[in-house]
Amino acid sequence: MEYLSTFGVITATLIQLWPTWLALAIMIALSFSFQDRLGLYGRLFDSGVGIVGVCIVAFWIFTAIFADIIAPFDPLAQIVVMKNKLPGAIEPGTGEAFLFGGDKLARDVFSRVVYGSQIVLIIAPAATTFALMVGISLGLPAGYYGGKTDTILSFLANLVLAFPVILLFYLLVTPGIAETPIPYAMAGLFFLFPIIFFATLFFTRFKNRPDKLWVQLLITFVIGGWIYAGLVFDADPLGIISIDPNELNIFVAVVFATSPAVFRIVRGLVMDIKTRDYIAAAQTRGETPWYIMLWEILPNARGPLIVDACLRIGYTTILLGTLGYFGLGMAPESPDWGTAIKEGSRLLRLYVHPALFPAAALMSFVLGLNLLADSLREESMKD
Amino acid sequence: MSEKSSEETPILEIDNLSISFFVRAGEIPAVMDFSCKVMPGEAMGLVGESGCGKSTVALGIMRDLSNIGKITEGTIKFMGRDMGEMSQAELQDIRGSKIAMVYQEPMASLNPAMKVGQQLMEVPIIHEKVSKDAAYARSLEMLEAVKLPDPERMMRSYPHQLSGGQQQRIVIAMALLSKPKLLLLDEPTTALDVTVEAGIIELVKDLGKRFGTSILFISHNLGLILETCDRITIMYSGEAVESGTVEDVFDRMQHPYTQGLFRSIPLPGADKNTHPLLAIPGQLPLPNKRPRGCNFGPRCNHYVEEICNAGHINMIPVTGEVGHNSRCLRFQDIDWKALPENIKQHAPVEAGRVILTVENLKKHYHVAANAIFGGSDTRTVKANETLSFTARESETTAIVGESGCGKSTLAKVLLGLETATDGTVILDGINIESVEVDNRTPETIASLQMVFQNPFDTLNPSHSVGSQIVRTLEKFNIGANQKEREDRMLELFDLVKLPRAFATRMPRQLSGGQKQRIGVARCFAGHPKIVVADEPVSALDVSVQAAVTELLMDIQREYKTTMLFISHDLSVVRYIADRVIVMYLGHIVEQGTTDQIFAPPYHPYTEALLSAIPIADTSVEKKHIVLDGDIPSAMNPPSGCPFHTRCPHVSEVPGGLCSKEVPPFRDLEGGHQVKCHLADDIFAKMEPVISFDKKEKNPTAA
Repeated sequence: MEYLSTFGVITATLIQLWPTWLALAIMIALSFSFQDRLGLYGRLFDSGVGIVGVCIVAFWIFTAIFADIIAPFDPLAQIVVMKNKLPGAIEPGTGEAFLFGGDKLARDVFSRVVYGSQIVLIIAPAATTFALMVGISLGLPAGYYGGKTDTILSFLANLVLAFPVILLFYLLVTPGIAETPIPYAMAGLFFLFPIIFFATLFFTRFKNRPDKLWVQLLITFVIGGWIYAGLVFDADPLGIISIDPNELNIFVAVVFATSPAVFRIVRGLVMDIKTRDYIAAAQTRGETPWYIMLWEILPNARGPLIVDACLRIGYTTILLGTLGYFGLGMAPESPDWGTAIKEGSRLLRLYVHPALFPAAALMSFVLGLNLLADSLREESMKD
Repeated sequence: MSEKSSEETPILEIDNLSISFFVRAGEIPAVMDFSCKVMPGEAMGLVGESGCGKSTVALGIMRDLSNIGKITEGTIKFMGRDMGEMSQAELQDIRGSKIAMVYQEPMASLNPAMKVGQQLMEVPIIHEKVSKDAAYARSLEMLEAVKLPDPERMMRSYPHQLSGGQQQRIVIAMALLSKPKLLLLDEPTTALDVTVEAGIIELVKDLGKRFGTSILFISHNLGLILETCDRITIMYSGEAVESGTVEDVFDRMQHPYTQGLFRSIPLPGADKNTHPLLAIPGQLPLPNKRPRGCNFGPRCNHYVEEICNAGHINMIPVTGEVGHNSRCLRFQDIDWKALPENIKQHAPVEAGRVILTVENLKKHYHVAANAIFGGSDTRTVKANETLSFTARESETTAIVGESGCGKSTLAKVLLGLETATDGTVILDGINIESVEVDNRTPETIASLQMVFQNPFDTLNPSHSVGSQIVRTLEKFNIGANQKEREDRMLELFDLVKLPRAFATRMPRQLSGGQKQRIGVARCFAGHPKIVVADEPVSALDVSVQAAVTELLMDIQREYKTTMLFISHDLSVVRYIADRVIVMYLGHIVEQGTTDQIFAPPYHPYTEALLSAIPIADTSVEKKHIVLDGDIPSAMNPPSGCPFHTRCPHVSEVPGGLCSKEVPPFRDLEGGHQVKCHLADDIFAKMEPVISFDKKEKNPTAA
C-alpha cells in the first residue's frame, strides 16, 4: 500500500476542494465590491471576526452544495483493502488517495465528511427554522396579550424545558415510539405552524386588498400544502420532497426541544417592543392584534432573532451530533458527522482518524456559526 | 465680576479647546476652538441644542472621552494647572474630589444594589481616608444640606425606594461630599417634573453661596440658566457662538443664533395670533458637513456672501461690555431690534360647536399582586376621578399636570385603549366611553387621533414613512385603491412641509423634527375632529419645537380641529391654548380660559406650577413657591383634597377641612372653576405669580 506524505495529503485536500474555494473567492469578491449596499451583511466584512465567521459558514455551505464534485468516492462504497487505512493511503483500483484514510467498514472518510455536511446543513437549519416558526407563533401572543394566555403558554414551555433533553430524545426517537403515529402527529402539528403563520401574515396586511391577498394566500397554500404533503404524509405528487421516517423523528424531536427556548426569547422581545409609541399608534388607528404582532412588532425583533437563529443552528448541529453518537435517529451507515463520530469511536484507541475528521468538521462549523452570531450582534448594536 | 477675575486664578480655564472623535469614517470634530473661564464661586451656563458639543466639553474636562475621542488642540487648566500634563493618578485623584459631575438620569448614577448610605460614605472614605463613623456623620450632614427629609431613613434606603427628585438630591449630595471646587451639572433636571425641578434648581443656586463651589451648568433650557448662572456660553455646532454675563447675553444679544433661540421659545408676550414663534429655518449641519466660515451661515437671516463664508471666524469682543464675545462678523451691522418681515398674523379663531363632552369620567385600575394565585388582595389605583369638561371645534384645550396626574390615562380612555369605569364621553353625539378601539367604526377612529411625544418612538423603524401613512389611510377607508392613497399620502407630505421624496425613506434617515412632522401627517390623515397631542414637542430641540408647534397650529386652523394639548410646560400652554385644565392626582383642580388660569385667583397647585416654570426673560419677576416633597402615589392617595399634603395654603383653611373632604368645584366668574376649600377673600387677595417688574421693553419678546 502506498501513502501520500503529510504535505501531499494537505495539498491534495486543498486541491480536491477547488469548487468550494472558487465559490468562496467569488462570494468574497462580490461582498467586498458591493459592501456599502449590502446593509448588515456588508458590515460583517468590517471586522476580522465577521469575515472569519462568514467564511467558515460559507465554506461548509459550498462544500455541501458541491459535494458530488468534491468527493472522490461514494460515501457508502466499501473497498475492502482500504479498511482502517491511515490518511493518505492510495486506493489501488482508481489510483485516488483516501485523503482522510478509511474507516472500519473500508469507506473513504473524506468523502463521508463531505457528504455528511449535506445532511447536517439541511437538517440543522431546517429544524431551526421550524422551531423559530413555532416559537414565534406562540411567543407573539404570549408577550402581546400577557395575562392568562401568557401564563398557560409559558407554563407549557417551562414544562418542556424542565424535561431532560436526552431522555426526551430517547423517548421520541426510540423505535417503540417511532412506530406509533405520535411522531407523524407531532410533525403534522409543527408543520402546520408555518402555513398558519404566513396565511395570517398576509391576511392581516392585505385584508382590504383582495387582489393581492388571494395571490399570496394561494401561493402560501400551494407551497405549504406541497411541502406538508411531502413531509408529513410522504405523498408528494411530484416526488421531490420526501423524508426518511428516522430523519422526520429527529426533526420533530429537535423542533419540540428547541421551540420553547425561541418562545421565551420572542415573548421577552414582544413585551419590550409593545410599550413603544408606534404600537400605541397602531392600536389607536384600529389595527387588529395579529397585525400589530406580525407587522409592527416582529420586524423590530428581527435583530436579536437572527443572532439567536445563528447560535441555535450551532446548538442543533451539536444536538444532531449527540443524537448520532447515541445511535438515535439516523441509519447506522449514514455519513452524518454525529453517526460517523460514534462509528469511529469504537476503535478510537487503534485508529483516531475515522472519528477525528468528522469531529473537526462539526467543531469548525459550529465555531463559524458562533463567530457569525457574535459579529452580527456587534454590528447590529452599532448606530 | 471683572475686578475679581484679575486677582484670583480661575477654577477652570479652557483655552482654544478642540475635541474630535475618530471613527471609521474619519475624524469628526465635536468641539472646535472653545474657550471659557469659570471663577471661584461662579456659575457658568453652557447652552445649546443636541449635538452642539456641550456634553463633550464636560467629558473633556473630566478626561472621560472614551477611546475614540481625543483632545486635538488647546488646554484645560484646573486651578492654574494644565490637566493635559497631569498623570493618570493625579487625574484620578482630582475626579470625584475636586471636580464632581451630576448627570441627567439619577437612577443611572446610583448603584441599585447598594444602600444610599454606603454609596455616600464611600466618597470621603476613598478620597480622604476618614473613618467610617466620620464618613457617616458627614453623609448625614450633607443629606440635611440638600434638604432631604428624614436623612437617617434615606441612608438606609436603596435607590429604587426613592423618587426621582430625591435620587437627584442624593447624587448632588454625593458630588458635594468631597467639597469639590467645580461641579459639572449635565442637564440635572431634564428627567424630573417641573415642581421637583424648581426645588433642585433652588438647591443648586444656593450651593455656590454656601460652599463656594464653581458650577458649570449644561442645559438646553435658557430659563434655567437665567435662574442659576452668572455667565453663559451659547454653543452651536461645536463652537461657542456667544459668551458673556447672563444680563448682557439675554438683553443685548450679539449673535443671530442666540436671537433665533430666544425668538423660538414661548416667552410671556408671545401670542399665537399676533406674535407667533419664529423657528430657525434649516437644520443643524452634520459634524462632517459643516459649511465654510460661519457654521450658522446657511440658517442665518443676516448672511452675506463673501463675508460670512470667507474663512474661519474668531470670537470677537463686544465693545463696551466686558467679557461679552460673539462669533459673528456682522454683529455691529445688524439691527437687533428689527423683526423679520412677513410674519404671519392670524385673526383669532372662533370656537365652534361642542365636539367633545366628558361628564364625571372615572377610570380605576384594579391591581392584584398576582393574577392567578392569591387574587383576592387587589388594590385600586384611581387614575381619573370625576373629570368633567367640554372641548369645542377649532379650540385648543390644554391638559396640564405632572407625571402621575392621570393625563395619559385620560388620553387612553378617549382613544379607546381603555374603557371608562364610570361616566360618559360623548364625541360629536356618540357615546364612546365604553367602546374599545376594536369596536369603533373607522370614522370614529379617524376622527379621534393622537400625536405622540417621543419622535424616536412614534414611527415604526422597520417600515418606510410613506407606507406607514398609506396603511393609516387604508385603515380609515380613505381612497378607493392604492394609487389614490399614495396620492393622498403625498398631499399629506405637502401639508406638513416635507419633500415628497421623503416618502420612501426609513424613519432612521429622518431627524427628530421631521419624524414628528410625519407623526402629525399620520394623525391628520383622516381629517380628525379631535387631535390629542401628548407633549408633541417636548422631546425636540428648541428651534425645531417652534417649527412643529407652528405647523400643528396651522393645520389646526385649516381643518378646524379640536386639539387636546397635553403638557407639563406652562409656557408652551400659555402660547398655544385657548382653555386650560389643570390636573393633579387624577382630579381636575382648576379649569378655565388661558387668561383666567394665568391670572389670579389661582388654585394653590396652579400657583406653584406657574412659579416653577423657568422663564428666559430678565424683565420677569416671579413669586417663589417651592413645594415640599413629591407627588403622592396614585396607589395610596391622600384623604380629602389630593393636594393638601404639599399645599402652602393648607393652614389658611379652618378646621383641617382639607384633609377630610374633597373640595367641590367652585364656579368663579366666567366659567372659571377651582376645586379648593380656600375662602373667597383669600382668593381675592392673591397676587399674580409672574409680573413684568422692570418696565423696559425686551426686543426679543416683542
